[in-house]
Amino acid sequence: MPPIIKKLFIWGNLGLVLFLIASVARDESREWKKYQKKFFELEAQELQTKLASSADEEEKHSLEKQIRAKKKAGLEVRQMIVGDLNRIDRCITCHVGMDPLSNPALETPFKENPYRGHPGDFLKTHAPNKYGCTVCHQGQGLATTVKDAHGFVKHWEEPLLKPPFIQASCAKCHANFENIPYAQTAKLGKELFTKNGCYGCHAIKGWGGIISEDLGEIASKPLSRALAGLDLSKTKLSEDQMNIQTYIMLHLTKDPMELVPGDPLGHMGDPISPSGMPPFYLELKEDEAKAIATYLMSMASEKMPHDYYVYAPPKPEPSFDSPAERGKYVYQKYGCAACHGVEAKDGHRNFNAQGPGQDPNAEDQIAQMAKGKEPNLRETAGTFTREELRVKIQNGVPSTDIVKFKADGPTPPLYMPAWKDKIKGQELEDLITYLLSIAKKGEEW
Amino acid sequence: MAETASVTNPTSEAISRRGFLKLAWGALAAFLGGTAASTLRFLFPNVVYEPSQKFNAGPVAEYPMGISLKWMREQRVWIVRKENGLFAMWGRCTHLGCTPNWFEGEKRFRCPCHGSNFNPEGDVIAGPAPKPLWHCKIEMAANGDLIVDKAILENRPGFRENAPYFVEYKA
Amino acid sequence: MAGSTQTPETPKTNGLEALLAKITGNGFKLPSNADEAKKLVTNSQVWRSVFRGGVWKNTPRDRAAHIIGNVWLHLHPVRVRPRALKITYSWGMGGISFWLFLLLTISGILLMFYYRPSPDMAYRDMKDLEFAVSYGWFWRNMHRWGAHAMVITVILHMIRVFLTGAYKSPREFNWVIGVVLLSLTLFLSFTGYLLPWDQLALWAVTVGTNMAGATPFLGNEGPFSALLNIRINNDVRFGLLGGTTVGEATLIRFYVLHCVFVPVIAGALLMLHFWRIRKDSFSAAPYSPNEEKVEVWPNLIAREYVAAALTTVAILVWTLLINAPLEEAANPTVTPNPSKAPWYFLGLQELLVYFDPWIAGVLLPNLIIVGLCAIPYIDRNPKGVGYYAWKERPFANTMFLFGVAMWFILIYIGYACRGPAWAWYWPWENWNVHKAPPPATWNIPNLVGGPMMALYFALGIGLPRLIKKELDWRVAIPTTALLSITAGLSLKIFHTLLVNKMDFIAQNIPHFGLGGFVLVSVFLFITIFFGFLMPQRYIREAPFFAIYGPTMTLALLTIGVILKMGARLGFNIKYVFSIPQVNFNI
Repeated sequence: MPPIIKKLFIWGNLGLVLFLIASVARDESREWKKYQKKFFELEAQELQTKLASSADEEEKHSLEKQIRAKKKAGLEVRQMIVGDLNRIDRCITCHVGMDPLSNPALETPFKENPYRGHPGDFLKTHAPNKYGCTVCHQGQGLATTVKDAHGFVKHWEEPLLKPPFIQASCAKCHANFENIPYAQTAKLGKELFTKNGCYGCHAIKGWGGIISEDLGEIASKPLSRALAGLDLSKTKLSEDQMNIQTYIMLHLTKDPMELVPGDPLGHMGDPISPSGMPPFYLELKEDEAKAIATYLMSMASEKMPHDYYVYAPPKPEPSFDSPAERGKYVYQKYGCAACHGVEAKDGHRNFNAQGPGQDPNAEDQIAQMAKGKEPNLRETAGTFTREELRVKIQNGVPSTDIVKFKADGPTPPLYMPAWKDKIKGQELEDLITYLLSIAKKGEEW
Repeated sequence: MAETASVTNPTSEAISRRGFLKLAWGALAAFLGGTAASTLRFLFPNVVYEPSQKFNAGPVAEYPMGISLKWMREQRVWIVRKENGLFAMWGRCTHLGCTPNWFEGEKRFRCPCHGSNFNPEGDVIAGPAPKPLWHCKIEMAANGDLIVDKAILENRPGFRENAPYFVEYKA
Repeated sequence: MAGSTQTPETPKTNGLEALLAKITGNGFKLPSNADEAKKLVTNSQVWRSVFRGGVWKNTPRDRAAHIIGNVWLHLHPVRVRPRALKITYSWGMGGISFWLFLLLTISGILLMFYYRPSPDMAYRDMKDLEFAVSYGWFWRNMHRWGAHAMVITVILHMIRVFLTGAYKSPREFNWVIGVVLLSLTLFLSFTGYLLPWDQLALWAVTVGTNMAGATPFLGNEGPFSALLNIRINNDVRFGLLGGTTVGEATLIRFYVLHCVFVPVIAGALLMLHFWRIRKDSFSAAPYSPNEEKVEVWPNLIAREYVAAALTTVAILVWTLLINAPLEEAANPTVTPNPSKAPWYFLGLQELLVYFDPWIAGVLLPNLIIVGLCAIPYIDRNPKGVGYYAWKERPFANTMFLFGVAMWFILIYIGYACRGPAWAWYWPWENWNVHKAPPPATWNIPNLVGGPMMALYFALGIGLPRLIKKELDWRVAIPTTALLSITAGLSLKIFHTLLVNKMDFIAQNIPHFGLGGFVLVSVFLFITIFFGFLMPQRYIREAPFFAIYGPTMTLALLTIGVILKMGARLGFNIKYVFSIPQVNFNI
């Protein structure tokens, strides 16, 4: 037998043992164990201080017994099986203070995660064994490492919802979330969504405009579709930002033109306009953007069992003193503000439409095309008669009829849809009244 | 080994090589043993998809005197309240594992399978059952909820009346 | 104890001893030292009924009996030729493949304890294996990486057997069995790929199985299927999937195929494979003078053990360092971009870019398998059996390695050079940078493409045979190189002259730069070298129907695939010849 075979025999066997030991070590040193152990240590310490200040013999005896039990407590993967919601949540493996069986009060004297109890009195009304954790907080319930469980990892599309986004979860079940004190950011988001006219382009579950995507299930949009469509070369995202919360926020805090630049100069064929979404980032504060994102994060595709829902009575149509007041409401309700601005103050960007200050000879033609605008209704509404306005609203303006700034540039992405099937009757008349009431009076003619 | 071990022996190199060979065989045995042990460990699940043996039976104050059937359907456990406290009893006949029924009029548990009868403490009155019914571990949490653990059982008189199989409670 | 060792002969009166003697019915003595105790055990009837052959004295007879008398070792001969032990000869790949097969069986059976083949459960069970089951990650990683390793070792084994001519008579059929085992290895790996039920699994299997739908006559998208009234819900793909899409039924089907059906068949064929190796003896090389066989125990057994141990160590390290992938839960409405087949099928997936699906997905793989099986019957060169024979089998070795290299280059392209939307990204390019959509492709008219192909095959088969005299390579190779470069250059010049004058060229081939020149030159050189110079030199006088014809057909087909790839990558030519009515698109 050549010595090399003997050597390989020895080293091979030693290698087997060595790597088996490494595997055992890896399996034994699971991350959650250290948190669970620490929790029981903290509890034992707490009891120890109680013991030191206790005078009653019987109580002392009981405390000592409890301390011994804490020190001996076995470490285990703890989980809640929530059958109704088809979820299994192992969060309580580390967050032991929120384990309803080992700590029914769900309170601990500790302030820090993962040792503290659940803040607020949510769990009184949302029993942990009926709701679990992830139905509200998201994250990966089956995972038992910090990174994987909180879900900011590749291939997990529902990472932990941090404040204020967590309020989105209230709205998933509570149709009346606007009345819930904890969900006021989501409420603000809904208001801003209406006020800024988002409905004008985006429907929610079929109600709203058809110019862009229906946002009814936006919170469940697959990442491979969402982020892959964006040009992120200017927006560097770290791995734990790759999620739908970021995707929505980007649309509200960055220029959409930068995210979806298209090919306006036609380098790759026919010119393609960049994203038509107006630059709302200029008007929205960070908090307001977050509020809208919170509201949208409640639009998930997951269907809750009906007994988890809290229904809200349908809201009555508000009443108004004057037709113009009502017209103002109609203007907001159908999302006219998306293109024509809040309270019709000014038109928003419409790429390669005509706009003020465009210079056909300028170096940067993309910047010039970006100066294209939707009409300012305060300026233009007055140039129409009542009848003309009615026809215009009813029939809309197809994109082929919009005059381009650069004739060989891309078709402007925004156009006026025909509203005749949506805005009709008294609503239409009041809207016209409103528009005429705010219009700058032109010369008489 | 002992009779050949000598530092001055010219064949000591050969011996140390044989020592290494023994080490290698030992390593192989350790590897096989370790793999077998870890495989055995693998076969014992850390999480199970069955209802937990432990459950929260709710606030102690909600139990009236006598036998409560509140958890019978879900957990197969009677909560029994007496003058001085409560205990939990597993609804499994000690004869062949059928579920006895509680007859309030007769103050007995009677098993439908082979006719074993038990009194409210779980002791056998009649029939083939060899042992009293099992009492489960029961504890009162700080907030007054009863936590029952069906995995820890006791049925010996003298033991079952004490913690952790009995919760003292007076309304 | 110490006292009694001095006088072992003295019968000691001992109650227990007497009792045992009475029970056993003969003179029983309690052992007084370790050796005696050992003897007592090994001489007992129980021990000897289990381990036959008496006390091990390490005589040649003992060593032979060890091989013959042991069911696990008896497929070995008692003695082998020393060359069979050489790692440089055998690479140990057959044995290592078999060891991996065993390792995969063990880890696979263990994984079955925690795996439920249903869409609701399978993905969750994967997460459990990673996060909640002790050593779950260990067995899953080992199974995954072991499977990848086995595909590699089986391919290497085949290469080695080819290079040492070990498939030649009388071993032709064992080579065929080996080719079938290779296919089964790939199929096992492929069926296992679906089981985690994540996006990776679902879409790799969707892409893979859709090829079956392109089968002629029997696939719903294949040519002539309308004749048999074949639809999406009664074709071969439907039979394979148990439905029209990869779903619940597919999962249980693949599970049974993966865990029971294919392993049983592979196991049976393995026995046949081993039995034939044993019967045909381990090495076919001519005997050298004074060659004497060596004993299998311990020489071969020790080497086999060492190979298995080192393989296991390698898999263990791999297991410890890298976790098996698990992506999002399977979602039939969202296709990841890009969506790639398992690496060993990426060559096929890449071919699907260039040809009609039934040609790339059905015809070519079957041709590869049939071509591999046919090798021992075409290659009748009696030389080079049982040793590396570069000088005696230059043609066979070169052409085989050319095919293997092409296969792995295709895999590399699919693995490293294809990004989102299957666009070409160099390995160093970032996938986040959006690529221009591909330029429109165009077809060569059939009246041009048809004759071109006919000419290619006619000249390819005819020319090497027509020139009777052996060409001098010292002249031929530089000439070929010069010719190729000239052709590339003249095309470049033609293009520059004509691009602005002919709309046809301006539209279809707007650019012809350095890349186009290199492409044309290199591909032309490859074509002439492998398609003309090699056969002209080595097989021009071989019998036409038995050897020359089949060999040239396979060679020209292989080269044709490369040429078609060049036509597409360089010049956006979609098809060279196309009869869309019967899906004949090349």
